[in-house]
Amino acid sequence: MTSDLLVIGGGVVGLIAARELARAGARVTLVDAAQNAGSTTNAGSLHVQMQSRFIRLYPEHARNAERALPCYRQAAECWDRLEAGLGPIHLVRKGGLMLAESAGQMAFLEEKSRREEAKGLDVALLDRAELDRVAPWIGSQIVGAELCRDEGSLNPLLANRLLTKACADLGVISIIDRIDELTVTSDHVSARGLHGRYRAGEAVVAAAWGSGALVRAFGVDIPTAPEPLHMNITEACEQRIDHLVQHAERSLTLKQFGTGQIVIGGGWPADDHGTDAVPGVRADSLVGNVALAARLAPAIGTLRILRTWAGMNTTADGSSIIGRLPGAERIIMAVPGDAGYTLAPLVAQMAACIVLDRDPPADPAPFSPARFAA
Amino acid sequence: MTEITFTFNGTGIAASGGESLAAALTAAGRREFRVTAGGKPRGMFCGIGVCQDCLVTVDGTPNRRACMTGAVDGMAVETQPAFPGLCLDAEVPDIPRARILTPDVLVIGGGAGGLSATIAARRAGAEVVTLDERTVPGGQYYKQSADGSLLDAQQAEGAALLADARACGAEVIGGVEIWGAFDGPLILAESGGSALIVRPRAVIVATGAYERPIIAPGWTLPGVMTTGAAQTLWRSYRTLPGRRIVVCGSGPLNLQVALELAEGGAEIALVAEAAPSPFLHPLRGARCSIHGPALAWKGLAMLCGLRWRRVPVRNGLRLAAVEQSAGGLSATFRRMDGGTCTVRADAVCMNAGFEPQNEILRLLGVRMTYDPAVGHLRCDRSETLETSVSGIFAVGDCAGLGGAPAACAEGRIAGCAAAERSGHAEGRDVAADRRALRRHRRFQNALWQLHDVSPTPLDSLPGDTILCRCEEVTVADALAGYAVTPGHLGTLKRATRIGMGHCQGRYCGPAAARLIAEHTGEALTDRSFFAPRVPVKPVTINAILSFEEALRGDE
Ligand SMILES: Cc1cc2nc3c(=O)[nH]c(=O)nc-3n(C[C@H](O)[C@H](O)[C@H](O)COP(=O)(O)OP(=O)(O)OC[C@H]3O[C@@H](n4cnc5c(N)ncnc54)[C@H](O)[C@@H]3O)c2cc1C
Ligand code: FES
Repeated sequence: MTSDLLVIGGGVVGLIAARELARAGARVTLVDAAQNAGSTTNAGSLHVQMQSRFIRLYPEHARNAERALPCYRQAAECWDRLEAGLGPIHLVRKGGLMLAESAGQMAFLEEKSRREEAKGLDVALLDRAELDRVAPWIGSQIVGAELCRDEGSLNPLLANRLLTKACADLGVISIIDRIDELTVTSDHVSARGLHGRYRAGEAVVAAAWGSGALVRAFGVDIPTAPEPLHMNITEACEQRIDHLVQHAERSLTLKQFGTGQIVIGGGWPADDHGTDAVPGVRADSLVGNVALAARLAPAIGTLRILRTWAGMNTTADGSSIIGRLPGAERIIMAVPGDAGYTLAPLVAQMAACIVLDRDPPADPAPFSPARFAA
Repeated sequence: MTEITFTFNGTGIAASGGESLAAALTAAGRREFRVTAGGKPRGMFCGIGVCQDCLVTVDGTPNRRACMTGAVDGMAVETQPAFPGLCLDAEVPDIPRARILTPDVLVIGGGAGGLSATIAARRAGAEVVTLDERTVPGGQYYKQSADGSLLDAQQAEGAALLADARACGAEVIGGVEIWGAFDGPLILAESGGSALIVRPRAVIVATGAYERPIIAPGWTLPGVMTTGAAQTLWRSYRTLPGRRIVVCGSGPLNLQVALELAEGGAEIALVAEAAPSPFLHPLRGARCSIHGPALAWKGLAMLCGLRWRRVPVRNGLRLAAVEQSAGGLSATFRRMDGGTCTVRADAVCMNAGFEPQNEILRLLGVRMTYDPAVGHLRCDRSETLETSVSGIFAVGDCAGLGGAPAACAEGRIAGCAAAERSGHAEGRDVAADRRALRRHRRFQNALWQLHDVSPTPLDSLPGDTILCRCEEVTVADALAGYAVTPGHLGTLKRATRIGMGHCQGRYCGPAAARLIAEHTGEALTDRSFFAPRVPVKPVTINAILSFEEALRGDE
């Protein structure tokens, strides 16, 4: 199959990139393995402030993430515009709270908020009294919180569905296949899949955890280690929780969807069963993650957990990978760093601009894959 | 029996101790228990804790299943709104200590198969723990009365089996909700808010089946329920689902329950069997009586009983729709010649076969094969009924429909083998059980030839027919979702929310899997169905605190 552009990976980044490219008039083929997409399993949090989980787990990458903070804010704004174009995706941006249970945690948040303010984020520290007004459901042990007004959430299932439909309406050809080899000649890119071969002028690689393996043969070693993560969702209840909720020290995200259901996650581990199989849910993650939520928000204690699942994430080196592949310029990388669903519209639009030779919405230089070239 | 009173939306309701809320409310003529997000009333449907459509708020706690919750004097029960309120000044409750059990053999499910397995494994010398979801174990076939009284020989046989299981020294625990199954095996269950953590050496899964509904317009109306739900009302609580009743679908359960309800004083307006009359296929009937003369005789006796009571039993009728009409329901049936007939009733009971409760088996990674004859997965098993996962056994209907006598024989075989697995090799001779099992299986094969549980293709239903009860996804929504994102069931679920509700896809899942298979032309396999997920049944967040403490200490 031949087209102008090949997009490899049909998660949210691939879909938005395909949509952008097709809107510019290109004939686009989107090939996706339909396996372990983070986009179909993620929690729909729009992250802007630095996640304490990330700082703790990947201290060596924290600087990269900090440098990229303005992008997160910009990406959240991209979602506002996307919703206007696509239709309702239950996007709410009422801010995110990072809760502290001790004076030490509060001090950590103070320092963090100072650094974030310097990067242009809209943050504030709330004491218990202020917190009671905006989040009356919190546990009595919470002493305060950092509020980041840029944060929020959306329903990724709605967004994925509308994006899929938009791509189809624009004539994007979607194929389910797994690409296992990419080759580049002087005038085209060729991709070999399990079921077919695809040829195009250029290819956008938006394959998340699968991206590193696809381009390794070109001498660029992109670290996209799969990170299987655990999620939980409750039954519906009255709309009470307005914010995206996190903890200053422990792994937690908690928010309420427009369906009334509360989604609990925050990066608890799941068992890796290889990239061809869904990751396995672990008893200790389920129990630990939900118990933490129950302690921070005792009001949800009488609800029941309806479902859990695990999906595949990758954080790369903490920073996004966007741009032409050194030595194989017909390949354009589009892999978001941590909190990839939030970053997706920005990453996809930047990659599309590079393909179309337009001015990208932000400077792509810091995200170039050149940093991984041998 | 103690007489008690509770309130429903402020009005006093009389009940007897041990009675379920669903039974007491039904007896009082109340059948609307909850309201959906779409503003529609719902009531009891499955009667056995599967559909979650009977949710009510009890003393301020939402999401309690009326069919599984016993009425207690002074309880305040309320209609459950779609979005129940949160108690903002709630505190983390006192955390009950978890109980950690390490039996040789864990039996999950205390029905015909599970109790038989319990007795066999215990008699072979194994330490056995048996868990059942219902307060009084016995399962669907032996359904026990809440008050301990015995209705007939079937209940007496079950009571004796349960007494044997207890007397032989096994620990049989009722009222336990199993929600987690992990490799190890590690089984997590909840009992009255406290944690039960089981690390057995061998597991016998005997979780039985639930009923396959007839998906048709109106199947979600209060008053429409499965035949088994009506049977539970009657056999366990001596409550009739209504005064005038229609029973439809296919299979022997419909005949038996129609007769039981008629004997209990209900007027059975119609028994509609989808299959053509057995007299059109005398050979099939004859095959039944050869393979199971006693059971075939029982079937014939049921038909005679119904005739004697002038209950109209009609073959070749399929339910087309149920409508709410003034003072009741009206059910419309389509005849094989295309004509229709309509019957008024206050309860419509349906059973169109069974779906195995195989969630725990699938979570443990057991290999399954699709059986087109019954339209569901069967578990691959060895001679000793061990699954493809070492130390995990499966008996009874959860492994694929087989009926109660087969479940008993399977239980005895697997009980001995599981005991042996855990080092108790006082090997009893199971040759007689093997012979009995072969006979029962031949009878079942012949029996289902007389019935027709083939589901109506979804494409032929009106577009606004509800497919997913919980999320109120219609047939048209599902078809439209499929058109945008063809693929597999998981994709359809994410595109339409089909299967994302309280019942965790138990009713819409198999139907949607068939829909996709029809469209893709691919044969159904284990992977055609929703991926198995914990929790197997919804589990309360506060209850999880007790597991956390125990599992943390465990490491
Ligand atoms: C609603 C219904 C009514 C029926 N009525 C009749 C009838 O009247 N006559 C007839 O001939 N056949 C009837 N059958 C068929 C017959 O019941 C079965 O063939 C037979 O009982 C199979 O035995 P079993 O041990 O496999 O399962 P069951 O007897 O169904 O027992 C399974 C037990 O396991 C428990 N359980 C299930 N999951 C869990 C879990 N996760 N945790 C804890 N416990 C669990 C259940 O509460 C149940 O007690 C009926 C079946 C159903 C579903
Ligand atoms: S009727 Fe109670 S769960 Fe189905």
